[in-house]
Amino acid sequence: MDVVLHLPVVPNVELVAAKAVETVGGALGMHQTGIEAASVAIVEACLNAMEHGGGQMVVRMSSENPEGKSCLVIEVEDQGEGFDPAEAPRNSASRVHGCTSKRGWGLTLIRELMDEVQIRSNPGQTLVRMRKYVESAP
Amino acid sequence: MNDEQMRLSKDVVSEGFGLIAAAGYINNEGGQAIADAATELIDGGCGTLLIDLEGTRIINSIGVSILLEIMEKLLEDKGQLAFCNLTPTISKTFEIMGLVQYATIFPDRDTARSELMGDASV
Repeated sequence: MDVVLHLPVVPNVELVAAKAVETVGGALGMHQTGIEAASVAIVEACLNAMEHGGGQMVVRMSSENPEGKSCLVIEVEDQGEGFDPAEAPRNSASRVHGCTSKRGWGLTLIRELMDEVQIRSNPGQTLVRMRKYVESAP
Repeated sequence: MNDEQMRLSKDVVSEGFGLIAAAGYINNEGGQAIADAATELIDGGCGTLLIDLEGTRIINSIGVSILLEIMEKLLEDKGQLAFCNLTPTISKTFEIMGLVQYATIFPDRDTARSELMGDASV
């Protein structure tokens, strides 16, 4: 089962991607908690793509079965300037407490809520690839 | 996407105790709607706020960042913030973003009210 969405930058379009996760994850037999975690992760990936991607983004969903373990695979791709994933800071509550700006949680949440995350980024293309296993721990 | 439209109500349950019930997508607009309701209750003298998120399934970090600002405003005034009816994912997100360090999480509204008001009969 493969799903490909070409999403324009319009308010709340990230919810279209989250709905697709609900449908595909449900079809794979994922637990509701896993679906909701993947939904928040894809929302964050889409928000990053909209903020930094400079135009339409592409969302792909599929299933894989590495080592006999079924998983939902999500990719979010944009055509922005790109960034160095190694330099992207892992945010923390102590860093933002008392600060005026409390933003910058997207990648931290994606990494915490998904089982595996890979980010490839070059000028003109950033791809965030995430896996959530069907039998993932809540 | 209409089911993700924020639906919100606020009420002063007892002196100094405000309740906000919010269901829907907590994005920048949803987070701001909760913040506006919280500010109104705080300015009206509520030092304890309970935010019931039953019916909220999806959030984003921008919306939760706005909730962090409410928490800091309450803490400045020596107030107390609590949440109830969180999904496991929202609970985990709050944990990652640090809300649980300063706010109390309850499983449901009745437990929250009885603990916060110190009255098991409510």
